[in-house]
Amino acid sequence: MRENKEDNQSRRNFLKKTAAAGLTALTAGTALSGDKLLAESNDTAKKAILMDNSLCVECQACRVACQNEHEIDVEYSFIKFLSREKGEYPDVEYRLRRDSCMHCPDAPCISACPVDALYEGEGQFTTIDAEECIACGRCLEVCPFEVPEIGEDRMYKCDACQHLLAEDKEPACVNTCISYALQFGDFEDMLEAGRERVDQLKESYPEANLYASYDFGLLLILTDTPSELNLV
Amino acid sequence: MKLTRRSFLKKSGLAAGALGLSLQTFDFEDWSARAQEAEVEKFPTQCNTCGTQCGAWAYVKNGRVWKVEGHEEHARSLGKLCARSHGGLRWVYDPDRIKQPLKRVGEKEFEPISWEQALTEIADKLDDILTEYGPGYVAYGHYPRATGNFYSERLMYALGVSTLCTHATSCNAARNTGFLYSMGGVPDADLSNTRYALMIGRNHGGGIRTDQMKKMSEALAGDAKIVCVDPRQNNIARIADDWVPIKPGTDLAMVLAISNVIIEEELYDKEFVEEHAVGFEQFADRVERVRPEWAEQVTDIPADKIKEMARELGENRPRSLVHPSWGGAFGALYANSEETARAVACLNALLGNINEEGGLIFHPTPELGSLDEDQYPAPEEPDTRRADGVGVRDEYPLAGSFGLPHYLMEKAQEGEFKSMFIRHHNPVRNFPDYEHMAEGFRSLDLSVVFEINMTETAMLADYVLPECSFMEREELIEASGGPHASISMRTQVIPKVYEETKSFDEIIVELAEKLDVGEYFNFTLDDVNRARLEPYDITLEEFKEIGSMMVDMEAPLGEKELNTRSGDFEFYSEIYDHVGRPGVVGWQPPAIGVNLEEDEFRFATGKEGFHSHTATANIPSLAQITKDYDSNRLWINTSVAEERGIEDGDRVKLKSPVTTEEVRVKVTEQIHPETVFMPSGYGNKTPFYETAEEIDTVNPNDLVPYQTSNIAGHSMRQETTVKIEKV
Repeated sequence: MRENKEDNQSRRNFLKKTAAAGLTALTAGTALSGDKLLAESNDTAKKAILMDNSLCVECQACRVACQNEHEIDVEYSFIKFLSREKGEYPDVEYRLRRDSCMHCPDAPCISACPVDALYEGEGQFTTIDAEECIACGRCLEVCPFEVPEIGEDRMYKCDACQHLLAEDKEPACVNTCISYALQFGDFEDMLEAGRERVDQLKESYPEANLYASYDFGLLLILTDTPSELNLV
Repeated sequence: MKLTRRSFLKKSGLAAGALGLSLQTFDFEDWSARAQEAEVEKFPTQCNTCGTQCGAWAYVKNGRVWKVEGHEEHARSLGKLCARSHGGLRWVYDPDRIKQPLKRVGEKEFEPISWEQALTEIADKLDDILTEYGPGYVAYGHYPRATGNFYSERLMYALGVSTLCTHATSCNAARNTGFLYSMGGVPDADLSNTRYALMIGRNHGGGIRTDQMKKMSEALAGDAKIVCVDPRQNNIARIADDWVPIKPGTDLAMVLAISNVIIEEELYDKEFVEEHAVGFEQFADRVERVRPEWAEQVTDIPADKIKEMARELGENRPRSLVHPSWGGAFGALYANSEETARAVACLNALLGNINEEGGLIFHPTPELGSLDEDQYPAPEEPDTRRADGVGVRDEYPLAGSFGLPHYLMEKAQEGEFKSMFIRHHNPVRNFPDYEHMAEGFRSLDLSVVFEINMTETAMLADYVLPECSFMEREELIEASGGPHASISMRTQVIPKVYEETKSFDEIIVELAEKLDVGEYFNFTLDDVNRARLEPYDITLEEFKEIGSMMVDMEAPLGEKELNTRSGDFEFYSEIYDHVGRPGVVGWQPPAIGVNLEEDEFRFATGKEGFHSHTATANIPSLAQITKDYDSNRLWINTSVAEERGIEDGDRVKLKSPVTTEEVRVKVTEQIHPETVFMPSGYGNKTPFYETAEEIDTVNPNDLVPYQTSNIAGHSMRQETTVKIEKV
């Protein structure tokens, strides 16, 4: 089981900054530095992956489908899980969440990338041009969620399967999810579906919430408070 | 001593390559660069990583299989695939695949030989055995699926051999037997429409069947209450409404006590019991004394919880169910597993939920045509005595045609069994007591394994015949029933990767020629498939394009006639009585008993959702999950660990009556304090699984002695206690 990471300062700063900027849905994408793709990204409607963590059995189908889809070395995984057990036997509860790129609005990694290898792509997902990437690690330094994995000559993270979106298909993780915990669609629709599900979950999980305050491209339905799942 | 690959090669005196080890390394970067530009083609297939064989689409880029996606028109996948499936396609390119027929020339030495030599020698030796001892000394064993069933049965029947075996006595034989002799078979649980489901040991998130997981997700996302009884908080228990920990092996006491409450409080379906069941009064008498308060002492489940489960099952009937499970809890784990299965069937009968929405449903399987008997005569099923005691009164009269491979290995050691053919199955590793199984195999006069990898069983064979992988062969059409039904087949996705490999049907046809029974194989695979498609308005050529299609089948809702001897539900089994087994189910403790000595633990095992038995530990993408989540550890309860000064990640000595192994521990609140749990997917003993060595640890089958239950003949995979000592 992976240990929960400590909250870190960069995340707090980022979230404070975004909140201050008064971001609301559909206003993301204004701080792109990858200018060659700016025009394209402005044309593409905001999409989101909605993950219902209350249904996830951690079977890892999404992880391996994703590795195949992107033809990456098995040591890198765009999708990870954070989990913790709460309480004592026999009253023990298990909490988990998907840990992968949140596709932040106004993503700090995009601004920080010195070679413009990161940009807002199809569906306004934060996308990497692996050939441009120099694996310098600046993105990791500014990432509020410590997502990027820095390899020898490139950084690794989720791009919501840009090549599949271009063909009007859903991301590989959504396509294969055997517990039907993942959905993909227009951002507003996913937001609404997420809120509805949270209302339903409140009965069994009083702390249930949709982690969506910042218009992330990955919306997480959580069964516990964000801080219990190492989110702020 | 553990055999390493290096020492194996050295001892065998073979140069690398003699076993067909490829020295050419594949240049991934070069391929990847070219692949970016390549055209992608997709072909229908069925996954081969576990037994479910989900329908899939294989994507081919630059002549190589790139990825798989679930086939949306397949009853099992329903468009989804699990991690094992995505990882399993790497088998195709495993550099250690068997590439040429191998002949044993010493204890651990093989020599590559030609097909002509291999098949001639196998035929000659088999002929000698059949002549000297007769067909009762020969058996065939496999993981049973369409192509294997058809070709192996035809060949063995032609030779007069009746002993065909599967893996079931290490899997679900007890469950199947208990349900067969009460309900007439194993129905499907309608989780999608149920209001209340009691899961006993069944973990849909570990032993994944994709379509069943869909139903479970529908239940969890909807209003149903899902209660999981399991000594550990399994993947479903973690997200279900309730986790009820239990002492392993005592589920029967709980099921009988629930039945007691349901009968006493008159919560059962009187109409069903009166009109469609036999022996209810005897069953009621039998469970009258099985009080929840007594069961609490046996199971560790509070009596009030037992009553609560009984009432909720009763109040929600017929849209409530106790899941028929699979391997978990009562598949093949304990001496009382058949009786637990029968009690679960009886409890469902009390709920009157058979063929009711939200209950248990016997969905029909789509029809398939068959070869014209006049044109293609099939051999008769021989009435020769089975080698494994199945159906024999003083051996295993109630065991089914699944057979008893572990018992055959006892007979082999006694010289009463001489030859075994094994395909796509690894009984030496996947049955309890490795040494028992291995010694049995070594004792055979002729053992032949059809495989793509050097499994533990292949390592002990006299001849290893290399099959091409599932991506390289076409197979027979199969039918899958259930709430969604389909017919499907594998098509050939890529050409053979290794020229000297052959598909199973090719091998059997050639072997049949050598054995002078070639007349039973005067057809092609296409001929069989055309015949199978006969009931459908589609040509074989069209079908190969789609690979799988859904078939509308009506659910038999309201049907109360069952496939039992009486046609009714049997609380009392005349057949059991006839062969000296209890006619009515009652309490029977597990062989390890109910109360342990101080310092003893019960032992439990189960699957992780990303490994399939020990077959997948060598797949790099799946082995990496084990590493990343440090999952190949022994679970031990936190308070118990604290008492013993054991910390998370520590190494401990795990002692069972047959072995002592070192293993690292996972300290967790998610397990019953008297129980330790070990995931089942590790502990390969073949030197050809280099990746698996990196995650090597104890395999549950190393800890459990060879034992055989006296009803289904299953291998009682958890019937052992263990002790733990800090290293």
